[in-house]
Amino acid sequence: MRSGLAALLGMGVLASVPPALGFHPYYLFLLSTAFLLAAVASAWNLLAYAGPISFGHAAFFGLGAYGAALASLGGLSPWGAIALGGLAGAAGAAGVGLLSIRLRGAYLALGTLACAELLRGLALIWSEVTGGGAGLAGIPALPVLPWLPRVLTEGRAGAYYLALALLGAALGLFALIRRSRVGLAFAALREEEERASLLGLRPLPWTLLAFALSGLVTALCGGLYAHVVRVVEPDLVFSRHYSILPLVMATFGGLHTLLGPAAAAIALYLLSELVLHPLLPALHQVGYALALIAVILYLPGGLAGLRRGGRRAHP
Amino acid sequence: MALGFSMILGVSRSLNLAHGDLVVLGGYVGYSLWAAAGLSPVLLLPVAALALAPAALVWDWLLKRTPEPKELSSLVLTFGLSLLLQTVMRAIWRGEYRLIAESSLGASLQLGTLALNRGRVLAAAAALAVVGLLWLALTRTRWGQAVRATSIDPQAAALVGINVDGARRSTFLLALGLSGATGVLFATLHYVHPAAGVELTLMAIVLSIWAGVGHLRSVLAAGLLLGMIEALTVTGWGPGWREPVVALMLLGSLLARSGGLARGHAH
Amino acid sequence: MPILEGRGVSVAFGGLSALRGVDVAIEEREVVGLLGPNGSGKSTLFNVLGGLLRPTSGEVWFRGQRITGGPPWVAGRLGIGRTFQIPRPFAGLSVLGSVLVGVTFRTRHRYRRAADRRAEAERLLGLVGLADKAGARAAALSLGEMKRLELAVALSSRPALLLLDELASGLSPKGREEVVLFYARLRERGMTIFAVEHSFGLLAQVADRMLVLDQGQIVVDGPPPAVLASPRVAAAYLGEEER
Repeated sequence: MRSGLAALLGMGVLASVPPALGFHPYYLFLLSTAFLLAAVASAWNLLAYAGPISFGHAAFFGLGAYGAALASLGGLSPWGAIALGGLAGAAGAAGVGLLSIRLRGAYLALGTLACAELLRGLALIWSEVTGGGAGLAGIPALPVLPWLPRVLTEGRAGAYYLALALLGAALGLFALIRRSRVGLAFAALREEEERASLLGLRPLPWTLLAFALSGLVTALCGGLYAHVVRVVEPDLVFSRHYSILPLVMATFGGLHTLLGPAAAAIALYLLSELVLHPLLPALHQVGYALALIAVILYLPGGLAGLRRGGRRAHP
Repeated sequence: MALGFSMILGVSRSLNLAHGDLVVLGGYVGYSLWAAAGLSPVLLLPVAALALAPAALVWDWLLKRTPEPKELSSLVLTFGLSLLLQTVMRAIWRGEYRLIAESSLGASLQLGTLALNRGRVLAAAAALAVVGLLWLALTRTRWGQAVRATSIDPQAAALVGINVDGARRSTFLLALGLSGATGVLFATLHYVHPAAGVELTLMAIVLSIWAGVGHLRSVLAAGLLLGMIEALTVTGWGPGWREPVVALMLLGSLLARSGGLARGHAH
Repeated sequence: MPILEGRGVSVAFGGLSALRGVDVAIEEREVVGLLGPNGSGKSTLFNVLGGLLRPTSGEVWFRGQRITGGPPWVAGRLGIGRTFQIPRPFAGLSVLGSVLVGVTFRTRHRYRRAADRRAEAERLLGLVGLADKAGARAAALSLGEMKRLELAVALSSRPALLLLDELASGLSPKGREEVVLFYARLRERGMTIFAVEHSFGLLAQVADRMLVLDQGQIVVDGPPPAVLASPRVAAAYLGEEER
């Protein structure tokens, strides 16, 4: 545990270096996106730790993005806007979580997918508020923090550190939960819901909590993303990519583990962008698909967490 | 198209989230053949159906190997396959929208006071014909009965001596063939683009829930109903409403049946 | 007043009747056995009594409260504990963790500090002889060990009534002897037990009373000697080893 912590801190320090070294802004942006994806993957993993496999995390990402964008354009400071977006995502996630009253396993997953598609469609339609297909533009950039060296918070560097901080927070949250009562409840409900409820655990409050936390982190990432690219549109932030990528990354990296999803996220994303994209520009997304298929078929151990819901054969 | 989906569900307890994408693939293949060789759309149907045969074998092979619980693993797997298909299609055909715009299809047919688009009528007729053929094949031939038996209870079917693997493979070939053919029909009516698959898959799922696995006639009826709801939505509220309405219906159906898709298996 | 009472419990699946008008009343501190041939509805009855299954008709009361049809946590919080015939370990948890669940969430007020909870969990493991396996993964145990874990987990919520589903099945003769010992020790501690077993002989050693289920109906209800002598029971399948 000690050495793990030290390694983690070491990586954090290492990760803090690039902007200071004056990396090209494109690479900073790339890494920032990688960190955000890693954070979302971790958030997805947190929900999966409690049981539900979500096919609709894009809904929370988009809620956070749009929430933050609207708040920011409405005059709120970017920090407040992102926080507000985060809350919107948490609330939306809890709403989606209500599906778990009736649905489990694959059908709950389908339900989350339907919710994400629903939100995307609504964002396209509700033009007065969301700007329809064109979305919202001109979102203010993240402000420079006066009490930190300018180089740390300006432009791409600022976004970089924020993304890194969000990733750290996501990982920290997962680590804390895993060692706490909450984590115990999550794991028990995930593995044997009936038995856990016989022991007095009511599934719904815990499931909703898991959804809300996962949605919160994801939405915060969405809000940050909105302020970095400064444009939100339905096909961008409610894109199915934000639903499938966390799933792929988390399962590939190791479901329910602390660092697996984040590490896989960064690795897969950078691989896809830096290696595959130049080589096979049109096909670079294939890497994710293949990774997923490979994991499902050949690494069942990593998918032990998928064993949830309804009827199951017992050992 | 929904038939194919529920057949796959019945035979392998797998939810094929890539189903719609396969349809789109069929549409693209059909389009390319039409654009390149000028084949009549009627011919395109079987050709596209056959073109998807290799995919059917791949799907069968992959889905056989998914671990328990089948419904969830297959869902995740086909989610990945869906991404794969979409990426590949986007690579081959770019992101542009394509339409099989035969001039003969654009003409109007007069039916009393209704002026119908000839293309749509033909497409509907073709769809009915295909389903009708399928129904005949499934109910009148021995092979068809074997397939149906396997989709209801693979283990019982095996006990009775039916070649379950063969029946499975046939089912997949059939299902994906249907998808391919549907794709061609689809391409004559709507623009095909790589991301159109998800909506189709969702519709297939809704229909499968409404009609239950394997009930041919119910699927037809449900399809009609869904089509009407869709048309009403589009004319009443605008085309952008179609996707959210389908999503909403999926939610509603899921909640109403609360995950009972794979049960209620009977024919 | 009986601590657990079921009246007119009937369960029908499709066309099949699993239980027909079953009446059960268990007094506090009683050890009651349930016997019956396979398919007679024993597990179904357990599921209904534990609030896991809603009967087609009939009611179940525990400590005077209606628990018919669940939800399961109501029965659990009122004080029912249960083992499963085919063990259902918390596969992702350790042995200690499995027991911690009940301790953490049912006995919150008694064990406020994490260290206390851990100690209690270890005590429970010691009771069933799994103390040395505390760190092992719950899914990696042998059948006998898993059954012991089942018992420990059931006890972790400090229940007043234990529903034990074939604790002794699949065990070696030595294992079965240990199970008899467990029954005795639990009884000493004042636990109320309703247990299903295949073997009449085993139950006869520990039970005050036995119920015999046949095709969904209770055919005999009485102390072991009476049950043994009953012709109706002889007619139903009793259990091969001890007759």
